[in-house]
Amino acid sequence: MPVLKVSGLKKSFGTVHAVRDISFAVEGGEIFTIIGPNGAGKTTTLEMIEGLLPPDSGEIAFGDLKWGRNTEQIKMEIGVQPQSSALFDLLTVEETLKLFATFFTRTKPVDEVLEMVNLTEQRNRHVRKLSGGQKQRLAIGLAMINDPGIIFLDEPTTGLDPQARRNIWDIILKLKEIGKTTILTTHYMEEAEKLSDRVCIVDQGRVITLDTPAALIDRLTSEREVRLTLTDGEAAALATEQTASELDTVTKIIREGSSLQVWTTHPENTLYSLFGFTKENGYRVEQISIREMSLEDVFIAFTGKEWRD
Amino acid sequence: MAFKQFSSMFSAQVKMMFREKQVWFWNIFFPVILMVLFMIIFGGGMSSDGFQAKIAVVDEKPNASSAMLMESLKGVPLLTLKDEAPVTLEQGEEWVKEKDIDALIVLPAQEGAAEIGLLINMEREGGATTQAVAGILDQVVQGMNFAVLGAEPQYSVAMKSITSASDDISYQDFLLTGMIGLAIAQGGLFGMVDQVDMRKRGLLKRLHMTPARMDLFGLSGMIVRLMLGIVQIVLLTLVGVIGFGANLHINPLTLLIAFFGGALVFNAMGYLISSFSKTMEAYMGIANIISMLMMFLSGVFFPVETLPEWLQVVPKVLPLTYFVEGMRDGMIYATDIFSADFWIGIGLMAIWGIASFVLAAQLYKSKSISSVR
Repeated sequence: MPVLKVSGLKKSFGTVHAVRDISFAVEGGEIFTIIGPNGAGKTTTLEMIEGLLPPDSGEIAFGDLKWGRNTEQIKMEIGVQPQSSALFDLLTVEETLKLFATFFTRTKPVDEVLEMVNLTEQRNRHVRKLSGGQKQRLAIGLAMINDPGIIFLDEPTTGLDPQARRNIWDIILKLKEIGKTTILTTHYMEEAEKLSDRVCIVDQGRVITLDTPAALIDRLTSEREVRLTLTDGEAAALATEQTASELDTVTKIIREGSSLQVWTTHPENTLYSLFGFTKENGYRVEQISIREMSLEDVFIAFTGKEWRD
Repeated sequence: MAFKQFSSMFSAQVKMMFREKQVWFWNIFFPVILMVLFMIIFGGGMSSDGFQAKIAVVDEKPNASSAMLMESLKGVPLLTLKDEAPVTLEQGEEWVKEKDIDALIVLPAQEGAAEIGLLINMEREGGATTQAVAGILDQVVQGMNFAVLGAEPQYSVAMKSITSASDDISYQDFLLTGMIGLAIAQGGLFGMVDQVDMRKRGLLKRLHMTPARMDLFGLSGMIVRLMLGIVQIVLLTLVGVIGFGANLHINPLTLLIAFFGGALVFNAMGYLISSFSKTMEAYMGIANIISMLMMFLSGVFFPVETLPEWLQVVPKVLPLTYFVEGMRDGMIYATDIFSADFWIGIGLMAIWGIASFVLAAQLYKSKSISSVR
């Protein structure tokens, strides 16, 4: 039985249809990521699931628990990190955690939470003196103070530098290790790909597709982009382009000076042929790469839109 | 559970309040500075404690009588000589015209029966200082007359204040209580800006995601603000009594009722402002306008009776008028709680409070917390 089941969610603000039709089910212990561009309806969906917004229609069930009937119980069982970190600036890290701890019947020891979000050293620092990443970690710490089974993280890494982002990834993976279910929204494809067990792509208030990152990528066409840069100038590149165009597996070629972009359905065969040609003619190859397909390509393929961070 | 929540919310809010420098400035230092300024500017001339008159003495033909008078005058602590040595009549008259001195005393030019001259600036003829100098001089002369006649005074005046407390109000007392009322009212009016800030920053929403009881959170905030009000009362009272010699006649029960009533009413008004202010700036703007209007029209600094007659209707509807009156009842008039006027004032104030609260609650209900982003 899924720990969270959402079906047919709808929500409008006046004439704006923020969420048109969203359904999914989250299994215990997984990292479930909702991804989509700004305004796709991610936060609205999350806020409905968190009980902050009543949906216009649709069902939300945490096992047998439902908002309205079991509000207090659900609040005890979930942990939420909202998009705006929303902290009391003038309290210290430890004071903030202790304050929130008094709201719940079951709590995780403050020291353990500090340890998990790596804020033990900053425990006596005022919140307003924390860096963006530290604030975000505290917000995640608050979401786990009641030792919840399900944790919601709404864009936990937006606006953070790469190092701070990686720290948050570590925390999310630790949560999975101890058996928590995490529902994550993000802006960053790379993040979704690295962390998620399953990804739900949302656009214009609808679920576009839902699967594991690997399965989503596999569903794309098998065409790959190969890039070559030749050391011996344009003439060499021109000759190589000529050869490539004669191969069956190549579907498209773009040449820019001494650089080639070759799209192929069988990258290994294509490369074998091209390297045979360059070796024969004594051309040297400066750079070579095969671009991996990513969730970004999945997004583009499914929505027909350019991905914007 | 509820108590645990309440006490942790309370201690968190105490910390937040006293760690905020703005709170210290606007709620502690600012009222004290304002009160001290008003006391210095308007309080000085109306009190007898600080009375000092500057004089000069002309002694053109020194003689035994003039020497004796000179000594007596020097012995009067309320008079300060601009120049220890006697001056010429021309110099003295010049000083009087320039208002360098309050009065010029011309000593008699011969021994025995003679006149003593008192020269004052015509602009100041009716002033309190002039009257006082004349009175002092009169006493000195009378003392000398007795001495010359070798007689002991048979009668003396023993002044004793037997007036009722309410007639015995100095400006210090009036201003002190006015300032306390103003400080508490402003604390309430401005204090609810936190609501706007917390709503804007998503903190109310954040608390809403937990099983935290919002009513307890509101209550603990209210109690913290009441504590601040008590700090203000104590501090301003100490400054007024120690620094400026204000006299208090406290009726604790009356004071308590007026204080709690007022604090709640002005908190409710702040709550109302918070219900329709989208930003902190908007809140502060509205609170400032309301506070400014009330400040000068509610008998805080000057009695309402000093306003032009057509304007006197305004204070009659303002809650601050009744709050300040109530605080005065409790702190300087020692009115007991059976006074009808006191309860009428509290009642009128309560109408403001209840109306504000009901309206605010309606406004809050009509737009859910989450819809304000």
